[in-house]
Order: sequence, then C-alpha cells, then structure tokens
Amino acid sequence: MRFMPPTHRGEASFINVSASAFAAARLGALQALAAWPVLLGRVMFYLLILVVLAALWDKVAAEQVTPLAGMLPPEGLAIYIGVTEWVTLSVVAIERGFEDDIRNGGLEPYLLRPKSYLLQRVAPALGETMVRLVVLGMAGLAAVAMSGRPLPAPGALLALIVLGGLGCIVGMMLYVLVGLAAFWMRRVLPAMLIVQKLSFLLGGLVAPISLYPDWLFSIAKATPFGAHLYWVGVQTVTPSARLFCIGIAWQILWSMVLGALCALVWQAGLQKAVREGL
Amino acid sequence: MLTTYAMQIIAAIRISFADRINFFLQMTGMAVNNGFFFLLWILFFAGFRSVGGWQFDDVCLLLGIIMTVVGIAGILFGGYRDMAAAILRGEADALLTQPKPVLARLLARESFAHAWGDLVTGTAMLATLAGLDATRMPLAMLGVGLGLTVYVSASVAFASLAFWIAGARSLARDLTDFLLLFSSYPGSIYTGATKLIAFTILPAGFVVLAPVEFVRQPTSGNLGIAAAAAIGYASLAMFVFHQGLKQYQCGRTPTSS
Repeated sequence: MRFMPPTHRGEASFINVSASAFAAARLGALQALAAWPVLLGRVMFYLLILVVLAALWDKVAAEQVTPLAGMLPPEGLAIYIGVTEWVTLSVVAIERGFEDDIRNGGLEPYLLRPKSYLLQRVAPALGETMVRLVVLGMAGLAAVAMSGRPLPAPGALLALIVLGGLGCIVGMMLYVLVGLAAFWMRRVLPAMLIVQKLSFLLGGLVAPISLYPDWLFSIAKATPFGAHLYWVGVQTVTPSARLFCIGIAWQILWSMVLGALCALVWQAGLQKAVREGL
Repeated sequence: MLTTYAMQIIAAIRISFADRINFFLQMTGMAVNNGFFFLLWILFFAGFRSVGGWQFDDVCLLLGIIMTVVGIAGILFGGYRDMAAAILRGEADALLTQPKPVLARLLARESFAHAWGDLVTGTAMLATLAGLDATRMPLAMLGVGLGLTVYVSASVAFASLAFWIAGARSLARDLTDFLLLFSSYPGSIYTGATKLIAFTILPAGFVVLAPVEFVRQPTSGNLGIAAAAAIGYASLAMFVFHQGLKQYQCGRTPTSS
C-alpha cells in the first residue's frame, strides 16, 4: 500500500469537498431557474408583502400620532422592509427537506454515500438562495423605482449586496437547525414558525429594532436574528461604513457559531437515529 | 353525510393526539409563535398608539378571530391545507368509488396538532384582550363562523386549481398564505388596489375585516355583508371543486409523482 502524507490527503479532500459543494450549489441554482413559475410566485409574494407593509408604515408616518412616529425616516420604511423581506424570502425553506429526509427515511441512502449529507443538502439550497437574491433584488429595485421612492445610493447598494448575502447564510443556518430538530420532533413547523417570529421580533423584519426600548435593542442586535436581518436593513436607514463593519463582524461570528452548532446537532441527531431508529 | 364527516374527522383528531409529546410540542410551538407575533403588535402600539383609527383592542379582536379561524380550520377541516397535493397525487380516485361526497372526505382526511395552539391563543385573545363583553362574545363566535366559512371556501377554491394546473400545490399554498398575510394587518391600511384584492381574490376582507366590523357595530347591514360573503364564497368553492372533479373524472387532470 502506498504511503500518502496526511497533509496532502487533507488538501486533496478539501479540494474535492469544495468542488462537490460548488457543483451541488450550481445544480441548485439551475434547478431554481428551471422552476421559474415558483420563482415568479415568490416575486409576487415579495411585492405583495411590500405593498401591505409599506401601506402600514406610510399610514403610521402620515398620522404622526406619537413622537416615535416623528423618528421614522422621511421617506418611510418601505426601503427598509424591502431589504429585510428580500433577505427573508431569498432563504430557501431548507428545513422541509431535512424533515422529509429524517421522518420518511430519505436520510438512509445519503448516509451510504461518501459525501457529507449536510453539505449535499445545504449547498444546493445556497445556490437556489443566491438565484432568489438576484431575482428578488431586481424585482425590489424595479418596485422602488416604479413607486417613485428614492433608490439607495450605489455605495449603500454594494453594502446591501454583501450584507444581504451573509444575512442569507445566517438565516439558512438557523433553518438548518430547525430542520435538524426533526430528529426529535415529528413536524418542525412550530419550530420554524418560532424562528420566523423571532426574526420578526429580534431581527426587525417589519421595523428597525432601533425603535425598540434600549434594553431590547441591545439584546436584539447581538442575536443571530439581528445578524440575519437588522444589520442588512440598517444600511437603508443610516448607511455608514462603521455600521457596515459591525454588521459584517456579527454576521461572520454568527455564521461560524451556527455552523458549528449545526454540525454538533447533526452528530447528536445521527447518534440518536442509529441508536433508537427514526 | 355529517355523521360520516364527524366520524372521519374524529379519527383524524385521535391520530393527531396519538403521540402525546409531539402533540404538546406542536401545540405549544404554535402558541409561542402566536405569542411572538402578538408581542410585535404590543411593541408597535406601545410606540405608535393607533394606525388608521385601529387601536390595540381592534387588532386583538382581528388576531383573535383569525387565529381562531385558522385553528378550527386546521382541526376540523385540516385536509384543506394540502388538498391540491392530494388531487395531484390521484387520491380522489379511491373516494370517487365511494357513495360519500369527495370534498367532505378530502377535508376530513387530516387534523393538525399545531392548530390547537392557534385555537387556544385565538380564544384566549378574544376572551381577554379584544374588549368583548358577555353580549358581544356570541357575536364574535358568529363572526368566527362566517370568517371560517370564507377561509375554508377560499382555500378549497385555490386547491381546486390542481384539477387544471400541475404546479397548483405550491400556488394554492401560496395563495392561502397570502390570504393569511392580508388577514393579519389592520384593515385601515388597505386602500385602492390592495382593498380590491382584500375583498376579492384574497378575501381577507371577508375572513376577518367584515366579522370585526360586525362585532364592533352589530347592525343587520354588517351581518348581511359577512353572511352574504360566506354563502357566496362557499357556493363558489363548491362550484369550482365540482367543475374540477368533472375534469378529473374525464382524466384531464395533471398528475404528480
């Protein structure tokens, strides 16, 4: 048997893993494009949400019932909501795939393959997410232009693209954790809805968390939900390089923490499945 | 027919109860989810007091009605949620050979554990925060009944698209979700085109807004509007479903694997 240095083998393995992940992501992106009616439906949903929530905030801003209403940006929160919903709706509902695989025995064939199950599930979803980001982003920009509201400055737009991409990765990690809960729960819908509502609340999906009381704002901006949405959306309200750097830092930190947590939960779930069955 | 329906839905409910821990997790999860959504509105009204004349107790009434409607629909008519998929999978084949109505059988085929969470939070909200006194509670129940009829009818009509369209599973779910989205915000924000949508294609106006108006101002006019909408949408759903079923019986419905 030929001796192969472990470092060499490790590098080759890393390249192979990266290549297969990239191929899977590309496949996911192509599948998303092929299913264009689904994509179109998502664009419609996105535009509908924008119409409803923009109407809500325009009404609040127009009435100025309380001093807090005077703190809203003069152009309203439509662009902020456009951005947070853009990130939210771009993230693929990956938890459903995990639930199906784990509950219906679809996991077993994957375990026999030499590729990592988690990576083979996450990579295509990431590819699909990137396609959604581009399509929904274009639809959002078109909607803003047609509504006559001011478009974000080019610098802010670039910042939004970077933060939006990272925000999606954080969001996807959260939904991977939800999906892996299927090892313990029959249906992950309630867990998904709780994460969704925490994104509403602590991520600032429909209003910047800076409008909250100080104590809640301090907590919310440090959570993964803040990294998922708030640090992206804040660039539309108060665009600045400082907030961009802070946002990136939180997003990278939470991507790493949630990635590690996903790997741990997967190991624990797999051990349970091997020990007790599904 | 009602006896058969009752027997089938009781069996579906008992199945949803079978795994007690899972049932509890599902129900609690949904209640917590609703709690977070409600907390969002608490924060909203703490900061902004009102939106288009709607105040906190109006939104509590709206949320109480929509949560109760979705809860009852999920418990007693759970099949509505994935009816399009059932049609596309050809599950109506077996039902067509039986003497009982196909629509009722499809509606009673499933009952969701998490819907109990909606029902509990919805009724709790109606009983405590919606500003309803003992005289208005029966009106709220009537409003829930009318809203439930429109909600289930609209969902059945959306699912019936599967008789004609292969991709209707996702479409029907999306339309039902759009309907819920429209139903979760104060009616005062809808004007022009959005108001037209809310009272036609996505009848949130009749699922919650008309019942809320009826409970707030229980006039015969408001009752007439809500009741006419319930009858209208139920008739429309029956018509669309049976037209689709004819299509299905002729073998012209697309199928999914």
